[in-house]
Amino acid sequence: MQIYLPIAEMSLNALMLLGLGGMVGFLSGMFGVGGGFLMTPLLIFIGVPPAVAVGTEANQVVAASVSGALAHWRRGNVDIRMGVVLMIGGFIGSTLGVYLFTFLRGIGQIDFVIAVSYVLFLGIVGVLMVVESVRAWFRSRNPAAPKRKLHYHTWLHGLPFKMRFRRSKLYISALLPLGIGVFVGILAAIMGVGGGFVMVPAMIYLLGMPTSIVVGTSLFQIVFVTANVTFLQSVNNQTVDIVLAMLLVVGSVIGAQIGVRVGSRLKGEEVRVALGLIVLAVCARVAWTLVVTPDDVFSLGIGGGH
Amino acid sequence: MSGLARLLSVLVVLCAGAPLQAQSIVADLSTREVAISTGFTGADLLLFGATEGSGDMIVTVVGPERDEIVRRKERIAGIWVNGASVTFKQAPAYYRIVASKPLTEIASEEVLSRLQIGSDRIELFTHSKRPAASILTFREAFIRNKKRLQLYSEDISDIKVVRGRLFRSNIPFPVNVPIGEYLVTVHLFKKGEHVSSEETPLTVHKVGLEAKIFDFAHNQAPWYGAIAILIALVAGWLAGVIFRRA
Repeated sequence: MQIYLPIAEMSLNALMLLGLGGMVGFLSGMFGVGGGFLMTPLLIFIGVPPAVAVGTEANQVVAASVSGALAHWRRGNVDIRMGVVLMIGGFIGSTLGVYLFTFLRGIGQIDFVIAVSYVLFLGIVGVLMVVESVRAWFRSRNPAAPKRKLHYHTWLHGLPFKMRFRRSKLYISALLPLGIGVFVGILAAIMGVGGGFVMVPAMIYLLGMPTSIVVGTSLFQIVFVTANVTFLQSVNNQTVDIVLAMLLVVGSVIGAQIGVRVGSRLKGEEVRVALGLIVLAVCARVAWTLVVTPDDVFSLGIGGGH
Repeated sequence: MSGLARLLSVLVVLCAGAPLQAQSIVADLSTREVAISTGFTGADLLLFGATEGSGDMIVTVVGPERDEIVRRKERIAGIWVNGASVTFKQAPAYYRIVASKPLTEIASEEVLSRLQIGSDRIELFTHSKRPAASILTFREAFIRNKKRLQLYSEDISDIKVVRGRLFRSNIPFPVNVPIGEYLVTVHLFKKGEHVSSEETPLTVHKVGLEAKIFDFAHNQAPWYGAIAILIALVAGWLAGVIFRRA
């Protein structure tokens, strides 16, 4: 069943899009991740223009994150003060990111920057995930090994504007979460992701937040930051395709529910190794598009410029 | 008036033996608008008409003009990156040629160039300061890519002629057809001379919900963005509610 996507200006099979949403939703439910970092490259692989894939995916992540954010909110798993500081950083970063996106699109480099960002971040995160889970697996077999310290004191803790975050049991400089927010916001705008895969490790390892409130707080700020990206992409670039976003949302919410149920039966380390390998596979696929000689080194684009 | 009715009226004129003006040509399309709606996967239009006596025909279909950028990828440290680019000003987004036989057998190069018939002969203007040879490479790349996207095409002998008078030809539009105003021109040649042309306009536009969404996104972008967010929030919230109960 072909459906014409009004913003992407192409015809795709609606059932395939639902299935794609369902598959990514299943993985995101099983692994507890947003799924934007899988969905955007997949959309690009099936021929959606990269700019539309990124803009639309931001919109889909809003929907995918809001129910999780509400659930964590009800259980009191959100550090609101921390969430607001991250969100302010996220607003600054994503606004900068969308303007950078518009600029790069104008000079014809946006597809390249999207691909390179994916290779870089998926590569780093995938390797870290696999290494970390393999280590954890060895530790569990060898309990005598020394345990790691919870968090280290570095120069980061000497920064000014200290703030007390009661819920996180932290007294740290507000610049630290603000900076993380800015950085993840830029990524969200350029890659069409929520940024949870960078935000969550940063909150645990850089800020030293308790694991129990990390996911809730991350989802809380992702909803606001991806909403900001959706708005600015709509205004600046007209690259948000509501029809495409809705098909993906329907598929992914159903997939996510099944994924959560399957995921709860699996072991933590196995799940993380599997996710790490999927991330590395997507990374390799994107990297391939950068190095393989194109059929035609010339390509067409529309619009102003030089 | 529907395409069939128009076809009938053409036939009636012919059958009644009403003398067509000397060296004249009449033509029409099965429809004068291509509507892009939810199920759009491309469209095939039928061009039909009649000519007086014998002659050679060339049909051109020229789409809306817009600035088109051609970019060349360069390999830097093993990675392909967009490098130099040339912008062709007001180039036709769609261009199709159909002829009853190879173009150069119908008319001289000079005549074809004057009428800009053939993708090698259409005028493409650029402000680029690159050397002429380089611009020619970009021009060739432009036409090659357009042909790959099925937006430019040249078909020899895709005109069916019945009894030397009635003719018909297909005009295919791929799913990525650019929206805008098109002009279908039937040129008639006799002994290498261009004797007459018949022009028929054609509109390609989006209709229904697709058109509304597209216009809304472009004309009221802030509201579009706000509504996109609202829909996503409601959808996400609803999903949470439904599955919490289930």
